[in-house]
Amino acid sequence: MQATRTVATGTVAARIPAVPTTRARSRAGGAGGGGAVLARRSVLGLFGLAALTACGADGGGSGGGGGKTVTLDFLSYNYGTPDLGGQGTQKLIDAFHAANPDIRIRPQGVAVKDVLTKLRTDTAAGNPPDVAQIGWSKMAEAYANLPLVPVQDLVSPADWQAHVAGMSRGVLDAVRHDGKVKAMPYTMSIPVLFYNADLFRKAGLDPDRAPRTVAEIKDAALAVTRTGAQGVYFAVADAGKSDYLTQSVIASNGGTLLRPDGSPAVADPAAVGALTVLQDLTVSGAAPAVSANDAVAAFAGGKLAMIVLSTAALTNFEKAANGKFDLRTAGFPRFTDAPARPTYSGAGLAVLTKDKARQRAAWRFVAFLTGAQGFTVITRDMGYLPLRPALVTDPAHLADYFAQNKRLLPALDQLDAVTPYTFFPGRSANQAVLALQDEAVEPIVLRKADPARTLNEAASKIRSLASRS
Amino acid sequence: MSTTAVRTAPGRRAPDAPAGEPGAGTGARAARGRRTGRVGPWLYLTPMLASLVVWVYGPLVFTGVLSFLDWDLTSDRRPFVGLDNYERLFGEPEFPQAIQRTLLYVVLMVPFATFVPLGLAIMLWKRPGRGSEIYRALLFLPVVLAPVATAVSWQFVLNPLQGVANATLGGLGLGSDRNWLGDPDTALPVVVAVTAAKIVALNMLLFGAALAGIDRRGIEAARVEGATEWEITRFVVWPQLRRTTVLLGFVCVVLAGQWVFTNVAVLTQGGPDGSTDNVYHRLYTYGFTFFDIGAASAAAVVIVLALTALFALRVLAARVTRRFARARPR
Repeated sequence: MQATRTVATGTVAARIPAVPTTRARSRAGGAGGGGAVLARRSVLGLFGLAALTACGADGGGSGGGGGKTVTLDFLSYNYGTPDLGGQGTQKLIDAFHAANPDIRIRPQGVAVKDVLTKLRTDTAAGNPPDVAQIGWSKMAEAYANLPLVPVQDLVSPADWQAHVAGMSRGVLDAVRHDGKVKAMPYTMSIPVLFYNADLFRKAGLDPDRAPRTVAEIKDAALAVTRTGAQGVYFAVADAGKSDYLTQSVIASNGGTLLRPDGSPAVADPAAVGALTVLQDLTVSGAAPAVSANDAVAAFAGGKLAMIVLSTAALTNFEKAANGKFDLRTAGFPRFTDAPARPTYSGAGLAVLTKDKARQRAAWRFVAFLTGAQGFTVITRDMGYLPLRPALVTDPAHLADYFAQNKRLLPALDQLDAVTPYTFFPGRSANQAVLALQDEAVEPIVLRKADPARTLNEAASKIRSLASRS
Repeated sequence: MSTTAVRTAPGRRAPDAPAGEPGAGTGARAARGRRTGRVGPWLYLTPMLASLVVWVYGPLVFTGVLSFLDWDLTSDRRPFVGLDNYERLFGEPEFPQAIQRTLLYVVLMVPFATFVPLGLAIMLWKRPGRGSEIYRALLFLPVVLAPVATAVSWQFVLNPLQGVANATLGGLGLGSDRNWLGDPDTALPVVVAVTAAKIVALNMLLFGAALAGIDRRGIEAARVEGATEWEITRFVVWPQLRRTTVLLGFVCVVLAGQWVFTNVAVLTQGGPDGSTDNVYHRLYTYGFTFFDIGAASAAAVVIVLALTALFALRVLAARVTRRFARARPR
């Protein structure tokens, strides 16, 4: 915040000569002149000037209403990364600066798994960012423990409706919390099946007929392993410590994370069955028992035939595959006869500033990022989904992109069927996610732990965490 | 400092001269000087003491207080919970297991902090020349590299599907499918090995400094007397390095858990199945992943008490050793 103050103060200081001089002249003229009076008023003017400067220092500008520049701190886990997500974020900020010269964005990068740590320590130090990109798996704890200002409350109901008019209704409904959108859906994605068509051909498989069920995926993977390559990887043991893919496989197998009474359902038969299926992939040799990061690297290197992962990985995979292998995508696979029910991953934009003027500026930033121009960059450059479906066919935005690039279409087809992300209750929600991921999902899928017993232990721990809240 | 305070001007009497004798009029000044002599050192020490109070002992006391509260770092509510945090710490399996693994880290790290660098330092010291300088520089290289960058580099090396380690082993026919960091049986030894690469190099440098103080004439004399190289090392060089070895061993016992922290945080995050977790990483997890500041503070207090007990034992052992040394007939 120190730098924010400096910037704002500097901006005010640049205007200093005009403000007191005009006022002093006006007052001096009105009083009929007089050297002593003028001198006294000049001194008063200087005090006023100092007060103005101090106001600028404390408030950081008037928030887009008074002609002063406002600098907003923006915490983002995409920003600063060397991949396309980082470049896309920079592009968004540059475009916002061009369209809003009175607001400056000062981005801060942070590792995705450390977002909550950074936000909570900054908040404890009285210095939270104005706007933050928070992953949905961390959002429940953010709602409970951080001073978020619901984005829906930042503007009038009419302005809110005008902004969200073209957005995906399914996603907006899914992210609503306590009847209100508290964090604006921003970089959203759903898991899909990425596959290497060249490895399919080498294994004698038809790349035009992508596997649609887990059973078909297993068969294809075993065929691929016979050629010396790796078969398939479900990235449920997520490096970012999110359980979006765990939720997707459990929901697609007919289960859920929480029962209607709020108690954990992670040890129910559907959940146990879903993870048993994934364990079978590892045990049978269809899937390598490695971390998600290692599997992503192997797929990008052309050594893994299939990976089930968020569409956020698309642009990086496209870059890695360019000229090396034929990259294709298919929808999230079915676990039963019922349609797949993937949940979304990615992040929302939350506003934390308490200052009204800064909130106004923050809303303009959020509205820009989630407007037509924002989602064009988010999709084209970062690989996340366009949450404004009309952009897909809009020649001014993404029509040409989707005409040439069909890889996001399977995800768009499933967008309306997206399952809401389920939050564990209480202020230890993130700890419950970690308990599920680190103490159950990873040992079951990668290290052959007994699914029923391990998930029962995890359910017990999650219950205990909820009761502590 | 007290010497400076009571120094007299040339030609004057000493300040402690008896009253009635020449120079007795300076008694008050002398008393003032003695007072200054007592206060002076404290004045000099004040900045350091203030710094210690503000940055070390104050936070330590604050941590002790926090260990009796239930606080999540951001909430205004901090209810007093008595010993609940300590009971929870030892009632759940994670922290006791982290203590065990910290001890395991210490046991595995001690040879890399003492005997391995000692051997390397002696070897290089006995064969001075350009070759040994280059070898020393190569060994020392990991010390100057940023810890996180080093850890990330090791991630690439140990990647189970595309890493150099498995490729090399595969080429030698030793199997190429090991998941070094994902297997609970290999993750901890790997973290120790990665950390040891740095500690060996640093301590080799410290042993080199100790070796520089050894008079080579004694070694030449032993050689003239017909001593073998092993006998020279064992009976001439090693006794002179014993204190350095004990010191570095003690430093390792105290700090091994902290040395591995970066590698644990970057390479394994305490996994798989908690097999690489130690008390420092667990403390960090309580504090900055779970935001359970009470449990994190309780863990910090337990660590401080354990280290204090270790220092007390060290002092006690030193005293007993000195007493026996004095009692031994010469």
